[in-house]
Amino acid sequence: MTVTLTRALVLAAAAAATIAAGGCATVQPWQRGRLADTCMVFDADSGQVAYMTHWQEAREASAGGYGVQSGGCGCK
Amino acid sequence: MTQRSSIPVVVVAAVTVFSLVAARNWAQNNEVNVQFHGFQDTRGVTVLSPTVDLSQDFTERTSLRLNFGVDAISAASDSCARCHRDGIRSRRQDVGLSVTRKFDGLKFTLGGAYSQENFYRATTALTSVSRDLNNGNTTVAGGFSFSLNQPVLHPTLTRENQNASDAFASVTQTLTRSTIVQAGYEAGRISGYQNNPFLRANVNGVMVLGQVPDLRTRQTVTARVRQALPSETYLEADYRHYFDDWQVTSNTLNLGLSHHFSPQFLLNASYRRYSQTGASFFQPEYTGAIPVYFTADFRLEPFTSNDYIGKVIYTPRGLIAWLPDGTGLTLQYERYQADNGFQAAIFSAGLRVPIKIFTK
Repeated sequence: MTVTLTRALVLAAAAAATIAAGGCATVQPWQRGRLADTCMVFDADSGQVAYMTHWQEAREASAGGYGVQSGGCGCK
Repeated sequence: MTQRSSIPVVVVAAVTVFSLVAARNWAQNNEVNVQFHGFQDTRGVTVLSPTVDLSQDFTERTSLRLNFGVDAISAASDSCARCHRDGIRSRRQDVGLSVTRKFDGLKFTLGGAYSQENFYRATTALTSVSRDLNNGNTTVAGGFSFSLNQPVLHPTLTRENQNASDAFASVTQTLTRSTIVQAGYEAGRISGYQNNPFLRANVNGVMVLGQVPDLRTRQTVTARVRQALPSETYLEADYRHYFDDWQVTSNTLNLGLSHHFSPQFLLNASYRRYSQTGASFFQPEYTGAIPVYFTADFRLEPFTSNDYIGKVIYTPRGLIAWLPDGTGLTLQYERYQADNGFQAAIFSAGLRVPIKIFTK
């Protein structure tokens, strides 16, 4: 029951954040200087992210959360 | 020996992609990213993984991405060592290709991947779409992939099939001039053979292959933040909650700080904490009546891990040797420690080469 409730709360929080975010003020292109830094880009180094995700999934039961999954491997 | 034969393959692949890029003539922005990863854990397993990744624009709206990688493995698993006491080497090769087409604010990607190793192969088809809204301040993305995974039940030649489907959706939102957030949801379904043919469980003192359900449904919720701080410093925070119908639940928290010490030097330090519950049928060993499902798979046991990562990115002003302006060098070291006794050290080095070619 507690687990179900936690899941429901997490999903509700994510949904609320998504809906709330839609109403944010628009940032104009000339105001995006710092947003353009690679540090602000999610998964900027996709090759490194793919490698780290690969070996972590070889040791952990969880997977996903960073885009569509590629195929399995004998290490999993 | 395996490692020696792998590296020339990657060099040939790199030369090939460079040649492909050089043959083109129209205005475009291309990039070649060559990386080398070294992994070593407390079991004595060493995995060397060179990879080559090419991104190339074919037209203003169409781009192609090609990646090739090798895992050269010194010992495949604990179970391999039981039969091959002097160690056993293995090699995994994977190749991926995707094409992205842009239509105004819409970006559509179609691709595939194939990997092959001694006793396993995987074939994947994937597609994704994203759309920019609200003057580029909101990005909505979604995707789907399907994989046919085929393990071979070594030492027999029997090949089993496993089907894995996965779908995700995410919303990325620019909140302010210095804050970007992302929320995502992902669901996966795996059906077919899911036992690990290389891991045996102790059932009443006898080591036998495990038996797990042939269906697994997985769900993941993520929340991520990127925050620009004063003095060229950036904060990253990612949270992931995972749960599946094998009763595995996990929470993952990533925290990181990046700082530009100069336009050329970027330093990043990050920490990852991961905690999971065990699968409902997992036990270290089984005694008495044999349950329907049993496993000794270490991935399905409860544990917590800490991961410490340091990274330096050097983008020199001007040329490095014959490489073009904007070339970047990345060095990363990672230390992973779990409370089940597993530890690993991972070293990565990467060379990112932007290649700009202009119309004559």
